[in-house]
Order: sequence, then C-alpha cells, then structure tokens
Amino acid sequence: MTTTQLSSQPACATAPSAAQVEASCRLPVLFLAFSGAAWLCFGAVLALLASVQLYTPAFMEGCPWVTYGRLRPAAVNALAYGFALQTSFALALWLIARLGRVELSAPLGLTIAAKFWNVAVTVGVFGILAGDATGFDLLEFPLYAALPLFASYACLAAWALVTLHQRTERELYVSLWFVVAALLWFPWILSTAQGLLLGWRPTGVVQAIVAGWFGQNLLQLVLTGSALAVLFYFVPKTVNRPLANPGLARAGFWLLLLIGGWGGLAQLAAVPAWIPAVSGAANFLVIVPVLALLTCLWQTAEGKIAEAWKENATFRFLLVAAILLLGVTLRTAFLGGTSTQFTFFAAARTDIVLLGVFGLAALGALHHIVPRLTTGDDELPSAGLADLAFWAALLGVLGVGIGFSLAGFTQAGVNANATKDFLKDGTVVIAGNLKLVTAGYAALTVAALAFLANFGLAVRRCCANCCGGAR
Amino acid sequence: MRYGPILGAGAMFSLACSWAALVMAPQLQLGSLAPAALPNSTEIYPPARPGLAAQGAEVYRSLGCAQCHTRAVRQTQALYGVRLNELGAPANLVPGGADGKPLNLDLLLALAAVRHVLAIAPVPMPAALAGDTNIAPKFGLFETNRAILLRNDLKSGITRPTSGPTVNELAAKLPATILEKVSVEEGERGVKFLSEAGAKAELTFYNFGPDLDRGWGARRTVAQDYVNDSPVLLGSVRVGPDLAGIGTRAPEKFAAPWKFAGTNTAIELEHRLLVHVYNPRLLAKDSTCPSAKYLFTTNKPAIRPIHATDEPLPFVFPKHEARALVAYLLTLRADVGVADAPVPAAPKAAAAAAPKAPAKP
Repeated sequence: MTTTQLSSQPACATAPSAAQVEASCRLPVLFLAFSGAAWLCFGAVLALLASVQLYTPAFMEGCPWVTYGRLRPAAVNALAYGFALQTSFALALWLIARLGRVELSAPLGLTIAAKFWNVAVTVGVFGILAGDATGFDLLEFPLYAALPLFASYACLAAWALVTLHQRTERELYVSLWFVVAALLWFPWILSTAQGLLLGWRPTGVVQAIVAGWFGQNLLQLVLTGSALAVLFYFVPKTVNRPLANPGLARAGFWLLLLIGGWGGLAQLAAVPAWIPAVSGAANFLVIVPVLALLTCLWQTAEGKIAEAWKENATFRFLLVAAILLLGVTLRTAFLGGTSTQFTFFAAARTDIVLLGVFGLAALGALHHIVPRLTTGDDELPSAGLADLAFWAALLGVLGVGIGFSLAGFTQAGVNANATKDFLKDGTVVIAGNLKLVTAGYAALTVAALAFLANFGLAVRRCCANCCGGAR
Repeated sequence: MRYGPILGAGAMFSLACSWAALVMAPQLQLGSLAPAALPNSTEIYPPARPGLAAQGAEVYRSLGCAQCHTRAVRQTQALYGVRLNELGAPANLVPGGADGKPLNLDLLLALAAVRHVLAIAPVPMPAALAGDTNIAPKFGLFETNRAILLRNDLKSGITRPTSGPTVNELAAKLPATILEKVSVEEGERGVKFLSEAGAKAELTFYNFGPDLDRGWGARRTVAQDYVNDSPVLLGSVRVGPDLAGIGTRAPEKFAAPWKFAGTNTAIELEHRLLVHVYNPRLLAKDSTCPSAKYLFTTNKPAIRPIHATDEPLPFVFPKHEARALVAYLLTLRADVGVADAPVPAAPKAAAAAAPKAPAKP
C-alpha cells in the first residue's frame, strides 16, 4: 500500500504531500469524529437508562418520553446512525484521501452535509422519544428524519466518490474495497428500506423481512466492512510489514460481499420456512470469508502482536475488534437459530457489532487519526486517557455482550420449556445479567468521555501551536 | 485492483443478488396476500380492525410495546387425528346393534383396517331379521369380509387381540376418536376409509410446542395473520409474554392467573388489560413492564372508571389512548385455523369459556 507508483494520467501526475492531504481532511474528518464520539456517549447513556428499566420498572416511570419502548430504540438508533455510521464516514473519507493520495474534494461541503446528518439524527432520536418510531429495528427514525438523513448521506457519498475518482494512487488497496462497497451499498439498502417501509409499505410480513434484510446488510457489510477497512489499513502499518497474502484478502472480500447480505433473517417467525433456512445457511457460510480475512491479517502481524500491543494504543483496539468479529460470526452461525429466538442473545448481536466490532475498531483508528490531524503526532496527548478509553471500551463491550448473552440463554431455556414459569424463571432471574449490561453501558460512556477529553486536549494543543495559545 | 468501476459493479452485483432473494422474492411470494375466506366458511380472516383498535395499533407502536412483546407463536410439531361423527346415511345402516341401535357393517370393516390393534367381533344377526331379504345378505357378506380381513391380517403379520376393546364398541359411541396424534398420511387414509364406508369422519389437529402449552395460541402464527397490520410489529425479544393471541387467552394462562367472576368475559378481560396498562405490578408483582399511568386521568370522567385494587385508591379513568390500546390488544386473536396452520377443534365446554369478541365501546 505504500508503493509510490504514480498514475500515468497527466492530470494526476503531481500527488499532494501528506501534509496537504491531512489539511484537506482536517475539518470534515475531525467534525465527524467528534460528533460520532459525542453520539457514542449520548447513545450509551440512553442505553444505560433503558437497561436499568429492564429490572427496575419503576425507574423513570410516569413519562412516556422515557419509557423503555422508546428509550431502547432511541439508544440503538443514536448509536447506529449518530456514532457508527457517522464515524464510518470519517474513516472512509480519511482512508480515501490517505490511500488515494488525494486532497478531499469540497471539505466545506462535506462538513455542511455532516452537520445536516447530525441534525437529522437529533431530530430522529427526539422523534422516537416523542413516539414517532416506525417500529422496525435499526430503522426507527420517522420519515421526517429519514429523508434529510438520506439527502445528507447522498452528498457525503457523492463527494467521497468524487475524491476517490481523483486519486493519484490508482491502485486500490484492500481497505478501499471495503470503503467503496460500503459507500455504494448503504444508499441502496437505506433507500430500499425507507422506500418500502416508510413509503410504499408492502403487505404483511414482507415488511419484517425487508427490515431484517436492511439490518443485516447494515451490520454485516457496511459496519463490519468499515471495521475491516480499518483493520486492513492499520495492522500492516502498525507492524510495519506489507499485507501478507493479498489473494486471500481478495477472495475473502468477494465472498463476504456475496454471502454477507443473506443472513439476518434466521430468527424471523411467521414467514415461509425457506427464508430462515437460507439465512441460517448464509450465517454458516460467512464464516469462510471472515476466517480468510482474519487469517490474512494474522499472517501479516504474526510474531509482532505482543510488541505492537505494548507500543501502540490503536493496535490494542484493533486486536480486540478482530477477536470480537470472529466471536460474533461464530456465535451467530452456531447459536443464531431458533434455539435463541426471541431472546436478548439475538438482540445482543446488534450491540456487539455496533460497539464491539465496529466501535472498537473505529475508536482505535480515531486514536491514530485525531492526533495526525491536530497536533501532527502519532498518539493522542494523554496516554493515560487513551488507556482508560481502551480498557473502559473493552470492559463495556464485554459487559454488554456477556450480560445480554447470559440473559438470552436463560430466556431460551424458559422459551423451550413450558413447565418453567415465564415471569419468575425468565424475567426475574435475569436481573443480575442485565445489571452487567448496565455496567457495560456505563463503561462505554466512560470510554467515550475519555476519548472526547483526549480529543479536546489534542485540539487545545493544536490551537496553542498555531495561535500561540490565543484560545 | 486498479479500476474503481469494476469494484463498484461487483459490489452492486452481489448486493443485487441478496436484494433479489430476500426482498423481491418474498414480495412476489407474499405480497399478494390479502384477507381471505377461511376454508369451508364465508368468514374473512383476518377481519378488519374497528376504528378504535386501529388507533390502538398506533399507540402500541408509539410506546414501543414491541420492544418487549413478540407477536409470533411457534410450534414444534403438528400431528393429526380422525374423529368419527356419524355412522352414515340410513341406506348404509342395518338394525341389530346392542339396545337396538343401528349398525354400519362396512364401517366396522373400515375401522378394523384403520385400527390394527383392535379386535373386530362378529355381529350376530337378530333372529327377527332372518327372513328379511334386504338385510340378511348384508350380515352374510360382513361375515365373509371379516374372515377375509382376518386372513389378510395373518398374511401381513398383524395380530389382533382376541379380547379387550373392539371396533364394534368404538363405533357404538359417537362422536368417537378413531386416531390420535398420527402423521398426516395416516390421518387422511383413515378419513378416506371411513368415508368410503359411508360414515362421516373428519381430520382433527394436534399442535405442539412450548408456546402453545403456555396458552399463547392455538397454532403457530403464519403470514396470513399480519396482512391487516402496517407496520408489522413481530417483535424480537420476549421480555414479556407473546401477544399473538392475547384477545383469546384463557384467564389461567396469564402470567398472574385469574378467573372470570361473571359471564361477561369480554368486559372482564378488557378491564384486566386496562389495569395492566395502568400498572402491571398491581396484577403480577414481579412484572418488569413499565406502567403507562400517563394514559389515565383522575379528573376526567370517562366511559367506565377502573378500580385497580382493593386498597382505597382514587378512581382513575382511561384516556382515549388507553381504551384504544386495549381495544387493539383484544383484536389480537390469531386462533383461527387457516389452510397451512389448522387449529384443534376446541371441546365444547372450553369454547364457551373462552372470551368472546369484545363489544364495541
């Protein structure tokens, strides 16, 4: 990826310097990264409040705006659209500019589009709290938020693709494959799902099928794909080796694209039996590309993992994200069928992918990108805060994932056995597990705050460098 | 890879595959589903929701009830049975049974063919009929056929008990359960045999699964159940019980079992659900369902006041939204057999006890 091969096209003969590339990225990428982290903090707080209500129903009782049925979708959608997708745009723009050796086109326009995205997410979250949720998982924003969301995404993606077209480094590195796939894929799934579920409204369970298809593609291809783009950029960079086995990466990429979009409906009830069957098979098959891609990364980093773990904050995040990716893939393949249907086990997949696989990879990448774009260093100003962000995020994801999974196993046992008392054996006893979930969301809030504080320190130092501490 | 367009085209192609399979194909298969007449009936299922219940669906969506309640009943197994309802038309019948009851001799042979474990007893011809040229040959033919049947049994290795219950006794008491919990092929074969003998028999259904044992429904839910819903809120987590059949759930099957006090079961169930919406912990103390007290008021007279407990609490009155929500819940009654998911016929007594459709408020 670091080859300096230049394009034969005369217009692109002069590649901008790294400093010029970073200068063009500064405004939009920092804005997206900051807003993303702020939404992570806000979404985690909402999820925390919602999880408390699961075992203390009297908590915040009496106001429809903060009832569990509204808080939980507001939290998930704030995390998905405010944090995950927004951060994935920051990463995509930065990767395109860096790997394509090109200045971002229209940085100001990108920033304005990003602002509109944030406005739309804010409106959407408040719309859910006000009772206008659509009722479809991961697509709860009402129409008046969904349309601006799509419009601002269209601007972001269009400028990103224009930038990609203008790249001076013609060879597309693996990371950019995932970025391009996600950029093209997301508008299609979003417009299909919004058009069908908020506009045309097909009859009956087709709605649930479309919503499930959208959620799967969002989690498996757009967000996991973005996480893989980050992994493929930073792992070779950190261990300072070229990517081992690019052929395997290519095969893994195409297989993931072909198979990844088919899962996600394995637990749908009341639909023709072929749909869960096909989805369940896809959940198994997707192990192959995930293993191929992770093997490729493993071969690249082999022997240097312990060293990189000690030295590099970004690498720690990425290693855990890679392990979680393997874990969540196997988990969905082997336990994602009817046995865990209708339990928190299945619901936890969204949290693990949003916050664990993507969230940790993105936070790790931002721990490299933010200092590059502010102070020009390779690390954020405070190593202590970076450590705190890592450990808090790790514990947070583990708390949420393990808490929900254990609760899910208990629920699955009750679901399968009618002699067990639904209320006593299935709802009361999981309170302990759900407290672990609450603690997990609290830890994630701490992680987001630690990162934001570090971000602030970096910006302050940057301002001090430029303006002599005028601010 | 150097060429972005190739990459883009490949990505779009793979997306198109999953789109065609999981968005377009289900739409082609299910998109034309509509409320339809039930088998052997003019009743349309699912019926349209009355206005108040339709508004309640919006309250259900808005409050996010689907975050904790599914509306999908699963079933692990479906088995079949045969019930004999009538012996047959007078032409098939002969006098001569015990206590002078009529007999269908062909039916006895058919029953013996269906139930290999039951003996078939000879039927003595009443002496009074010996001279009747219409009837007497029938008894003779029966005896011949019975002999053939027993000989065939020997050939195919069937050993019938010589004592114990016989098909003759089985046919004497109607309606009789001929087969229980057998495969669909066996059930249909049984109905065919009995019908050919001139009797009236029907296929019965047995549905199994933990959800059904909990009393959450009479059968699995199918796509047909949701054609009147938009948005379709299937739910994905059961923090609370499934609601697919809440409108017909028996009182003892609730998380906090109760009993109907009187005969106006619809009103009682409606009141019960209103109390649940007001504060679930007044009914089930461990419930983690958030209360929706904001859907009630203390000062605005409504159609019916509800009195939540025996404690001297002030009366509260459901607002329009609360009544709409409960009206919606009462329309959730996925208990009607449809072509691909039949329901067992409820015993007469139980059917009478089940809540009737609510009266329009």
